[in-house]
Amino acid sequence: MSDISNYSVVGRIGEGAHGLVFKARHLPTGREVALKKILIKNIEDGIPINVMREIKALQLLRCKYVIKLYDMFPRGMSLVLVLEYMCSGLWEMLHHNQQEMTLPRIKTYVQMLLKGTRYMHAHYVMHRDLKPANLLINHEGILKIADLGLARLYWPDGGRPYSHQVATRWYRAPELLYGARYYSEKVDIWAVGCIIAEMITKQPLFAGESDIEQLAIVLQRLGTPTEESWPRHSELPDYHKITFPESLPMPWTDLLPGVDPDAIDLIKSIVLYDEQKRISAKEAIRHAWFQTRPLPATLEDMPRPNVTKTK
Amino acid sequence: MFSTSSQRKFWTFSDETELARQREKQNLEFIAKHGQHIDEYQRYNFFLSPEEERLLLKQYELHLKEFCKRFAPPMPKGVVGTAFHYFKRFYLYNSTMDYHPKEILATCVYLACKVEEFNVSICQFVANIKGDREKASDIILNNELLLMQQLNYHLTIHNPFRPVEGFLIDIKTRCSLANPERLRSGIDEFLEKVFLTDGCLLYAPSQIALAAVLHAASKEQENLDSYVTDMLFHDAGSDKLAILIEAVRKIRSMVKMVESPPRERVRIIEKKLDRCRNQENNPDSEIYKRRMREAIDEDDIPQGSSRMSLDTSGISQVLSPSAS
Repeated sequence: MSDISNYSVVGRIGEGAHGLVFKARHLPTGREVALKKILIKNIEDGIPINVMREIKALQLLRCKYVIKLYDMFPRGMSLVLVLEYMCSGLWEMLHHNQQEMTLPRIKTYVQMLLKGTRYMHAHYVMHRDLKPANLLINHEGILKIADLGLARLYWPDGGRPYSHQVATRWYRAPELLYGARYYSEKVDIWAVGCIIAEMITKQPLFAGESDIEQLAIVLQRLGTPTEESWPRHSELPDYHKITFPESLPMPWTDLLPGVDPDAIDLIKSIVLYDEQKRISAKEAIRHAWFQTRPLPATLEDMPRPNVTKTK
Repeated sequence: MFSTSSQRKFWTFSDETELARQREKQNLEFIAKHGQHIDEYQRYNFFLSPEEERLLLKQYELHLKEFCKRFAPPMPKGVVGTAFHYFKRFYLYNSTMDYHPKEILATCVYLACKVEEFNVSICQFVANIKGDREKASDIILNNELLLMQQLNYHLTIHNPFRPVEGFLIDIKTRCSLANPERLRSGIDEFLEKVFLTDGCLLYAPSQIALAAVLHAASKEQENLDSYVTDMLFHDAGSDKLAILIEAVRKIRSMVKMVESPPRERVRIIEKKLDRCRNQENNPDSEIYKRRMREAIDEDDIPQGSSRMSLDTSGISQVLSPSAS
């Protein structure tokens, strides 16, 4: 049975919602790992549901583009998750290494993100909190989906309501902003669309300061929803709580100035009000953008982060 | 998918003998460890026998069923099934003398609520428990991590409820059976009883589901044999069909044999358990209280030679801010 004596802790990497994250070496194998320590003693309801979800999801998912859970063990009143060590992340790349983010490399990151998303959705797991900070990059330059604390299994028949208090605001799909309780894995696809645009322009696509402003920005850019662009949107729980001024959709060439037409075509087939029309990860992977020049970078050409984030 | 699951790989056993052997092993190991100071003859009067442990667990499975049935708010079937799996798995690797079943029972249900996304707070949960609720909540929360560890963190359970829905849809579309919905009450009744047997440690959820459907059909004087042979197993070999028929027969016979352990017998076993249980794991004992205090202190992850504090100051970067 494994415990802390199998690991040599190298340093602290950061802070998660329920405790600290450490970088460590697994002594028997020499493998670098991240130890995510979940403090339970001060939590009223015991092991947080988010941690339970993360464990369940990671045990189910075995994909090159989803972070791996190697092991876990109790330590005192804490639970320690042993995760694949990732030295960087998309958030860091966007904020500190912008010059490295060339179009071919962006295409490769997007492919990795879409493959991970396709895999999750094929296993009926929706992540519900995709954003640059949750997309980590390892020393080989491979991007992996992480932080599955909001991930849950869904059933394609749509029989059960889910919480709408999910996803970080800028990447939150419009149905969630209107309080939908019945939604689908397409909330992840919306987030992916926002992330693609942000990688290309280096700016968040919809950067609201509050939930209401978030909705206002989306509506102002995509235009007031109609029964055609978004069937049955007026039946959503929070629809009648607030009204916004009427607006016409802005042309995508104004929203994403200077962005090539293939990229725009991909983004606009994702960033759609109607979740039924939003393309799936599987369809997005086949999009022409990945076949047109400049072609996606090979793994050898991807940046290999070696900066250690240990504090 | 069940076929690639930890349930199939680690928690589906070949036969009842294997289960009995495993349980007896826990019993013997406990007695060997805790009975050194007692002479051989007295030992068997003092400790529970494998048979006594078996009866005790049967009784607590009935308590588990009743607890879930009366639970407010009403509990989905999946939570009940998952709690039963956890309870049975726990006592394949532990003796009731080490961990009292009443404490593990509540912890299993609490963990199952979380894993099955039936979100109740600990307060709501212990409101369903008679007696000292604060103490109950301490016991549950203290045991949660132990339970997860004993389950080897295999939290995902494949219950027979979804396969049942699948069969009903299939029967409606491919079978001439009139009004398949009338099978439901027979199915529910059967599945309730299945969890009082070792069925879920021996058979796949789909086999249990099919046994339930066939049982319910025969109760309605209907026969679905041709559905099984001509539709479900039309293209599978006859060896596969034979395996299934044997599984269904065995599951149905296990369900038929379910009976409550004699009350007076269980009362005596419980009294015996109060004396022979491991005091280190008894929440009322001093030794337990001291151990809990130590666990709280043992919390820091050591870094290099010095112990690392839990102070979070100085961390400028938050790796993964949670969703707002």
